[in-house]
Amino acid sequence: MTRATEAATAGAIALVIYIAAWIGVIPLPQTFYEQILPVLPWWSLVSFGAYSLGSIGYHLMTFEDCPGAYQELMGQIQEAKIELSAKGVPIS
Amino acid sequence: MSAHSVLHIDDTPMTDKYSVLLPTYNERENLPIIVYLLEKTFSQANIDWEIVIIDDASPDGTQDVARALINVYGEDKILLRPRSGKLGLGTAYIYGMQHATGNFIIIMDADFSHHPKFIPQFIRLQKQHDYDIVSGTRYRPGGGVYGWDFRRKLVSRGANFLASTMLRPNASDLTGSFRLYKKHVLARLMEVTVSKGYVFQMEMIVRARQLNFTVGEVPITFVDRLYGESKMGVSEIVQYAEGVWRLFVTV
Repeated sequence: MTRATEAATAGAIALVIYIAAWIGVIPLPQTFYEQILPVLPWWSLVSFGAYSLGSIGYHLMTFEDCPGAYQELMGQIQEAKIELSAKGVPIS
Repeated sequence: MSAHSVLHIDDTPMTDKYSVLLPTYNERENLPIIVYLLEKTFSQANIDWEIVIIDDASPDGTQDVARALINVYGEDKILLRPRSGKLGLGTAYIYGMQHATGNFIIIMDADFSHHPKFIPQFIRLQKQHDYDIVSGTRYRPGGGVYGWDFRRKLVSRGANFLASTMLRPNASDLTGSFRLYKKHVLARLMEVTVSKGYVFQMEMIVRARQLNFTVGEVPITFVDRLYGESKMGVSEIVQYAEGVWRLFVTV
């Protein structure tokens, strides 16, 4: 099963449950039916958007710059050039 | 002396050998240095190794440098396997694998963005859990990237979030190309992977999940191309999004 099939299956199940609730097949308290059900899809969408932005933002903030790795590499490149030249490898 | 120790003649496992595939095109400056760093890492860690250089007919003399390296390190350690022209990364891996004598294959870039110092960690983790693949990751704590501005980081994070959410693979760095594979696992993945270019590495790790291969991860520091420029324009982003979509509907 591809990820697309999985996503479509999950979406279809959610849609069927939602429609069933909407047309009254699934009995619900009046408050839930009037106050929550109409906004549930938008709430899901906004929540997912907020989660996405939060996730990207958090990982952006914690993205390491690792200047130490750069310094270390520069030193090792110099060392390698000296050693290799001594062994007769052409270094430009 | 117990019977056990008498009977226990040889408890050393078949020795593992690690073949590094280095596809090159105009890497005359970088190649000797990356080979030097690899050799140093392997001999310090006492690891059996070889490097397979797959050069796509570089006009800059990369192969002359490779031959000089063979003189220094020996033709059992440095295998130069040139090809007639630029034939792409996927076929370079297949070609390199045909010449590799190790039972493990290491794939990395020759431009110093991937540092050999992480390879012993890859190997240790692989041995601990018998993973089929160990992937370097820039996105886990301890990893990171040098040389990216805010925009580049944002694009990278956004792209990775999109792919992770849609494809749900067993790895955090989908486009990373610093990985250790069991040889037969890489061969199997090459059989089923169809993408080219930017999406290629991502398809490999997504297919690995599909084929139930196990994946371990080691955080790596990634020093972005010192000599070249790494392109990340609109056309790359579109190409990437198309690739994610194709994998979403096919794998």
